[in-house]
Amino acid sequence: MIGIAVVSHSPRLAQSAVDLALEMVGAEGPAIAIAAGAGDGVTGTDAIKVAEAITEVSSPDGVLVMMDLGSAVMSAEMALEFLSDADVPVKLTSAPFVEGLMAAVVRAAGGASLDDVEREARGALQAKQTHLDDDDDDELPGPQAGPAAEHSIEVALRNPHGLHARPVAMLVTAVSAFEATVTVANVRSGGLPVPANSPTALLGVGARQGDTISVAAAGRQAREALDAVNALVQRGFGELETPGAAAVPEDCAARPDRERSSEASSGGPIGVSPGLAVGPIVRMPEPLAEPAPAPELTLNERAEAVERIEAAAASVARALMDKANRVSGAAREILEVTSMMATDPGLIGDARARVTDDGHTPERAVWAAVGDITSIFREQGGLLAERIPDLHDVRNRIVAELLGRPAPGLPDRAEPYVLVARDLAPADTALIDPALCRAIVTVEGGPTSHTAILARALGVPAVVAARHALEIREGSVVIVDGTTGMIVVDPTDEQVATAEQESGRVVAFDGTGRTLDGHRVQLLANVASPDSVAAALEANAEGVGLFRTEFCFLDHEEAPDVEEQVAAYRRVFAAFPGQKVIIRTLDAGADKPLAFVTAEDEANPALGIRGYRTAWRSPKLLDSQLQAIAIAAAAEAADVGVMAPMIATVDESIEFVSRCADHGLRTVGVMIETPAAAITALDILQVVDFASLGTNDLAQYTMAADRLAGELALLNDPWQPAVLRMIREACRAGVATGKPVGVCGEAAADPLLAAILVGLGVTSLSMSPRALGGVAELLKSVTVEQCRDAAATVVAASSATVARTTAAALLVRA
Amino acid sequence: MSNDTITVDQLTDWLTRFRDLVTEQVSYLTELDSAIGDADHGSNMTRGMGAVVEKIHASPAGTVDELFKGAGMTLVTSVGGASGPLYGTFFLRIGTTAGPRTSLDAPGLAAALRAGLGGVVARGKAEAGDKTMFDVLSPALAAFDAAVDVSSDLSTAAHAAYFAAQTGRDATRALLARKGRASYLGERSIGHIDPGAASTALLFQALVETLGEE
Repeated sequence: MIGIAVVSHSPRLAQSAVDLALEMVGAEGPAIAIAAGAGDGVTGTDAIKVAEAITEVSSPDGVLVMMDLGSAVMSAEMALEFLSDADVPVKLTSAPFVEGLMAAVVRAAGGASLDDVEREARGALQAKQTHLDDDDDDELPGPQAGPAAEHSIEVALRNPHGLHARPVAMLVTAVSAFEATVTVANVRSGGLPVPANSPTALLGVGARQGDTISVAAAGRQAREALDAVNALVQRGFGELETPGAAAVPEDCAARPDRERSSEASSGGPIGVSPGLAVGPIVRMPEPLAEPAPAPELTLNERAEAVERIEAAAASVARALMDKANRVSGAAREILEVTSMMATDPGLIGDARARVTDDGHTPERAVWAAVGDITSIFREQGGLLAERIPDLHDVRNRIVAELLGRPAPGLPDRAEPYVLVARDLAPADTALIDPALCRAIVTVEGGPTSHTAILARALGVPAVVAARHALEIREGSVVIVDGTTGMIVVDPTDEQVATAEQESGRVVAFDGTGRTLDGHRVQLLANVASPDSVAAALEANAEGVGLFRTEFCFLDHEEAPDVEEQVAAYRRVFAAFPGQKVIIRTLDAGADKPLAFVTAEDEANPALGIRGYRTAWRSPKLLDSQLQAIAIAAAAEAADVGVMAPMIATVDESIEFVSRCADHGLRTVGVMIETPAAAITALDILQVVDFASLGTNDLAQYTMAADRLAGELALLNDPWQPAVLRMIREACRAGVATGKPVGVCGEAAADPLLAAILVGLGVTSLSMSPRALGGVAELLKSVTVEQCRDAAATVVAASSATVARTTAAALLVRA
Repeated sequence: MSNDTITVDQLTDWLTRFRDLVTEQVSYLTELDSAIGDADHGSNMTRGMGAVVEKIHASPAGTVDELFKGAGMTLVTSVGGASGPLYGTFFLRIGTTAGPRTSLDAPGLAAALRAGLGGVVARGKAEAGDKTMFDVLSPALAAFDAAVDVSSDLSTAAHAAYFAAQTGRDATRALLARKGRASYLGERSIGHIDPGAASTALLFQALVETLGEE
């Protein structure tokens, strides 16, 4: 198998492209080495690194070198001069970086020769070109007459999306195992047969679910090859399974898995973020598509068309400026700049010329004019490239204005509403203001979609897979129940009154967390500063399970002195006399940088100096904090425990305990946020008094998925079976050592997950105060035995979706 | 006093002065590059030459090829942008051509520089008028060669080259970029001096200063 060297300016770009390509082939992929970035995190390329990458993946079959642009090409050429092994054929290809890499990886995995892989990679734009209808190059591999077919079959595609990327990869791999020449043609479209060893050509076939494809084969193993293809098609390329069917009881299994097939015809809406809300529907505008080509404007029409552009641009600029005037700070500056972009003379002049000279319609003229500017910005990279989303925003607003459509993006409302959308992009969901957006209803999506996860994080009720939601008239009042998935359109006054009462109802927590059969689970509050103590007290929290101390340090140029810290800590301790307060030492780094402790220029801050590790660099800071905690604890009557964040080893735990002992602090614990800590929890718990699971970071590190990357939200889900098994590991250690193990991450606030955690053996749950009532209510409705049984089933689930639906089926009373 | 030869120490001094000049003019180079590129030429050259000088001061080179091969390799790994392979190749070829000598005479330096230019052309495929470092290197070396034909004094040749380099640099202002990122700007690249041309002119300014010290 050939090796592939990937040369890019940006390690992130290269890694993402490689990840994308490897998704197609899994473990069977070719050896790939990345040479991206120059020394010390510099964006650029390094010829020596390129030479090393080529050597690393060197194989007698050869090495294909994929490059992005500019210096990447020069560095790759230069690298060839540094190579010593002249026997290994090395080929630099002008193939497109992303598509080419994908095609190359798939072909290489099938054992194709260097030349074949290179040719395939170079032709990899074909699917896109065909799709966009700008394919004017017939040299590329593509439709061509098949071999004299000895055997052929016709089969209908069963999987939901037909011959898309992954099935294509499976098909190519399957076919390459046989001594046979295989072609595929789409019977519906009547297209010519294409070679089945060419992923790009197969993608160009455009075969969808229900289409019949004709597969022909010639050669010694023609029949076997056809059998293999047939088997793949019949199995729906592995995309037909409905996860949950096995593990989930009947009433729940009837819900189709929305993740896999949003077009599934049966099954109702699914509640994915609990809560009840009432409000008028505001529909998320459909995204704007590029305006369709239109006949050239006559000379008479052009003057008026130009005026329309100017009027639309001015109106958009005004609207943006109005919006700017309603906010302050950075948001205001951005809106002001965006407003100016709308009337930029260069942009408007360009659009005007396209109308006057070429007779384009105003909307096409604006679209194209912005397109030109963004392509320049994109090539320039850096700060200019970061402005592209703003430019697109401006473009969409002007074009929407010209077409008389509502401005795209989240609706700009001053009154509360229920948002209805086909689907929400993570970026849109992140901008939702929970104060205004009372509930979210989407046509697509599933229980573990971005929308669901982010809605739960925001505490906004959400229902997904509501197929008819877009048919509800804009402005209609609806009641949305994010627990059951029920949507009531145009409810009676009585229904609204009941719902409003219900939605306003804060389920009170009586101050003693327990299950139906009286098993005690301490329900504690997370407290981020002395100012949030009141909310915790009001919610009847049994104490504080996580007192974050970052507030003391944020906005400080230097570390605060001991006295200042003592005063702040005492305010929290004083509020909980006789009750548990677990204070966590400074957790800085990664997404919480602090000028005086965190390192700059870390290539990967989430894996860098953060959490307890900052104490390596600033031991005095930790000592002053421990001293302040000891003084504050002595002065108040709270039952104070101290814990360290981000522990990875037993040695760190021992060190932390000994430092605490130096200050007379006796109840000492650690946070279990790394897989390392989870699987060595038994050893760690032998040296500390308690442990607390930070599920957000534990999910991030277990799934190797950056918490801050919206696209990875599906992986960063505490319902992921892998994360649940990590938690189980830590809980088992707690049971074995008789020491308490709590949870203070996002997971504790999800009532359903809270019950699973209790089933796994967690002894306390700490959450934002507003979640206490809901969690307490659910716990009181189930026995600890039910929790244990559900937990045992859920950790064995095949996916996060199955885990959650199973838990719901087992624990929520109908 | 005339300079008939240039020693390894002087060539080291040349590179050091080039480092000083790009460092001193980092914001000028960046400003040029922000007009028609990605605003990193100043910092890339400063970082690259900084690494070169740090390395040769830590372990001084004994011969011309050792000096320039080391400098070229360092640039290749530390610059990141297109200047890395371009300047890297330039210096590597100078080293290879000069060989393990401890000093060069005027024809020897001229031949080495000429080979360096050949490397830049092979690497970047630039031609005259593409608005690149070639538009400085090529006239500068032509002037250098012409001076060497009439005088063995390196200082004279360096002055001639620097004069031509400045003219070449300023002439890039009126050119339409046809290579590198600036080429994406098309007509909009006209009216700005090419940053690579500007840094190349500094290379000859550094050579003049080195030889003037004698």
